[in-house]
Amino acid sequence: MEKKMNFSIMKFFLCFFLLLTLSGCISAREINDLEIVIGMGVDKDENPGKILLTAQLVKEDTAGGASGDGSGGGDSKAYWNVSSSGKSIFDAVRQITHKTGNRLFISHNQAVIFGNDIAAEGLQEYIDYFLRAHEMRPTALILVAEEKASDILNIKPEAEEFPAFNIAKLVNSYVFTSHFYKVNMKDFASCLMGATTAQLAPLVSIIQDEDGKDIYVSGMAVFKNGKMVGKLHHDEVRGLLWVLGKVKSGVIIVSSPDEQGKAVLEIVKAKSKVTPEIEDGNIVMHIKIKEESSLSEQTTTENLADNKAFEKIQEASAEVIRQEIMAAFDISKEFNADIFGFSEMLHKKYSKEWKTIKDNWDVIYPTIELDIDIETKIIKTDLLKKPVMPSEEEN
Amino acid sequence: MFGYILKKIRYFSLKNKNEYMLQNTKPGKNNSEPISPYLEKNLEVIKGILRDCSDLTIHEFNFGRDRRFKGALIFINSMVDKEGIHKNILQPLMYDALLLQDNVDMDFTKIDTIRKNFISITDNLKVTLLSDLLDNLLAGASILLINGSKEALAIKSGKRESRSIEEPGTEAVVRGPREGFVENVKVNIALIRRKIKDTDLCVEKFVIGEKSKTDVYIVYIKNVANPKLVEEIRRRLKRIKTDAILESGYIEQFIEDSPYSIFPTISNSEKPDKVAAKILEGRAAILVDGTPFVLVVPMVFVESFQSVEDYYARPYLASIMRVIRFLSYIISTLGPAIYVALTVFHQELIPTQLLISIAEGRERVPFPAILEAFLMIFTFDILREAGVRLPKAVGQTVGIVGALVLGQASVEAGLISPIMVIVVSTTAIASFAVPAQTDSGTILRYIYLALAGIAGGFGIIMGLLATLLHLASLRSFGIPYLWPIVPLDFTGLKDVFIRMPLWTMSKRPKAIVWENYDSYNQSPGLMPSPYKKDKSDSK
Repeated sequence: MEKKMNFSIMKFFLCFFLLLTLSGCISAREINDLEIVIGMGVDKDENPGKILLTAQLVKEDTAGGASGDGSGGGDSKAYWNVSSSGKSIFDAVRQITHKTGNRLFISHNQAVIFGNDIAAEGLQEYIDYFLRAHEMRPTALILVAEEKASDILNIKPEAEEFPAFNIAKLVNSYVFTSHFYKVNMKDFASCLMGATTAQLAPLVSIIQDEDGKDIYVSGMAVFKNGKMVGKLHHDEVRGLLWVLGKVKSGVIIVSSPDEQGKAVLEIVKAKSKVTPEIEDGNIVMHIKIKEESSLSEQTTTENLADNKAFEKIQEASAEVIRQEIMAAFDISKEFNADIFGFSEMLHKKYSKEWKTIKDNWDVIYPTIELDIDIETKIIKTDLLKKPVMPSEEEN
Repeated sequence: MFGYILKKIRYFSLKNKNEYMLQNTKPGKNNSEPISPYLEKNLEVIKGILRDCSDLTIHEFNFGRDRRFKGALIFINSMVDKEGIHKNILQPLMYDALLLQDNVDMDFTKIDTIRKNFISITDNLKVTLLSDLLDNLLAGASILLINGSKEALAIKSGKRESRSIEEPGTEAVVRGPREGFVENVKVNIALIRRKIKDTDLCVEKFVIGEKSKTDVYIVYIKNVANPKLVEEIRRRLKRIKTDAILESGYIEQFIEDSPYSIFPTISNSEKPDKVAAKILEGRAAILVDGTPFVLVVPMVFVESFQSVEDYYARPYLASIMRVIRFLSYIISTLGPAIYVALTVFHQELIPTQLLISIAEGRERVPFPAILEAFLMIFTFDILREAGVRLPKAVGQTVGIVGALVLGQASVEAGLISPIMVIVVSTTAIASFAVPAQTDSGTILRYIYLALAGIAGGFGIIMGLLATLLHLASLRSFGIPYLWPIVPLDFTGLKDVFIRMPLWTMSKRPKAIVWENYDSYNQSPGLMPSPYKKDKSDSK
């Protein structure tokens, strides 16, 4: 009895320690040996056929100091940008170790910025590593720089410690204006896999003012088959988002009914429904949009808080929305890029016809007609019921 | 090779057993001869056995009407209440007997006559064997020997130094009785009896220890406790053959189910209310003379997370505290291990900003994280041990030095990262939230930390699995250790992670009472509610 028990204990421990040795992925790395990458930029190198990879790394000895002191460490930066050229992204990632001494730790990468030149050439060949490498997160943001990506990473933001975090923050702020939207690696890749849909990525640029340089999201880059073909401006992006139903919030400015000033509305809620229809070989997209907004500001003395004024403002705001959508559609026709994803909708509804449409999509796309039906509603006037002005009785 | 070692171990253990048997059957060791009717001879024998005991008093006296009877009172003078002996034994025999009428003829050689007519101490006992006589003598009784009688009277006139009943040091409560057990087992039994005034309350006595002859009592309620449980306790107690039982821990280690396990399968308490509550649930208490710690069997794992106060306070906060205790046990065992696993193996799981600040804190630390964690926990354990052993006045110094060493100085010197200080101190605080499992928690902390250092999260999971398997295999006097979680018992779950209101817990724990498993400890439907006029009540 005793022997049996002791023996089973031995067996248990033996199995246990065998299991420990079986663990294949033993990869202990002390945290201070990590080179934590928080942002990456890809540009074309001066040597043809090579790319220049810039990685933004956390400087661990000063990172906490700057945040702890509040005042910051003067000119000492909490990050450093390392660049290396290589024949491919992975080649460059490994070549960077010549400068850092440690392997890059990319799991915490916030954003990948592609330079203008790389984007124009096509992202298809460069995006593979960012999805394949096990340390990469598919949720890392993808952006396009209007100039060189390394320049974007070099600008130290005023409020944030790290440029990469600042860029991620900027892109996430799309919810306030709907003037662009965030695209991550996974979204971009799945768009890239559709044969006919166009891809989009936020476009960042540098603006120079008196205090220095700032980073600014100027719109969205439009890709066709992975190659950047053009740019959508803020209003055009919102036109696109109306159709996609992705408008979160934003400001609509219409002139007030008395033409004396402006009424400023904030979008509270927006819904959209798109139904494709093929009539006699013509493709019509029926777009139905329901929008609710609040009256957030007015620059006229007229009291806008009554039904007549509301109706006029609602009509005017519907017109603004329609114009935005048409602007987006016009520019997409110009690039012949299906940014709205109409092709997918047609594919779903008319799967038989799709086979013939698919091959001539580039010819068909500009002929698509839009049938836009917009319903807008002002649901509140925020805290004021009347404009701030002397009441009429006293006059 | 294992087989060879095991063989050796078994050989030696068998050899030792034989030697022990031989030693105890040597002649002269056993005093099981009867008491002789001749007083002189008896005294001779006793003097012979206890010749080197300077505190032995043998008082020979003559008594009876014409003082023709001879008697002797033997006691150990350090253990008896002399005044009581004078008043209650010697005075009645030597003086009151003189006042007897002539016509009353009493046979003073019969011990029963003396016992019934003269001895006014109630706690007395007739002994016929010399060994019993000596046992009682050494336990503090006064022995009355009469010439011509084959029997002796052991009168328990002993005085017993006893600490007054105080609040126990180990289980302080905010709400609840402040009394605690003391070293005197008689007092302890009284404390339990005060709580349970029931005819079914049984108090069974055992004397264990060849030399210490310690009184050990099993206390349980007949018809509530499982008879098999009581029988099993008796069996396990009887097989103990040792020199001395100095504390209930001795008993615990001789009767526990899994001596190799790091988890205790017998609970202990210093609080009469807690022990009484457990007896009322169908458990049995083992009281050992000389210690305020009372053992209670069987024990289940979740008992460690229950506090008496849970039942005295209203159920809401009590339930939150339960959950907090479970969490603190998890933190106290896994805290450093998870920290090491995350920072050494799974950095991608740490939020980016936190990772940066951890990395910044570790920038100057020369040790790997696993060594850093070991150093810190080890230092904490040293401090804890030192703090317990030192006199109270010096104890505070240890705390101050410890805070400086553990916290400030080591961080400023760059030996330890500040986050590690936070992790270890949280772990340390959490480990005190579950006092019953402090031992197992401390050991598990080292084991998990080592596993985390070897294989990260995988190692921790392996360790947890092994612990779980082990816990599920444990039994305490036949009760599965993880009951009521494994095997699942919904009625038992009322008192595990949350503490349901008292009026919902109307049945005794099923696994513990077992045979009368549907026994009620209160009438169901005791939920209080204001008086409502019933339809049947109204006219």
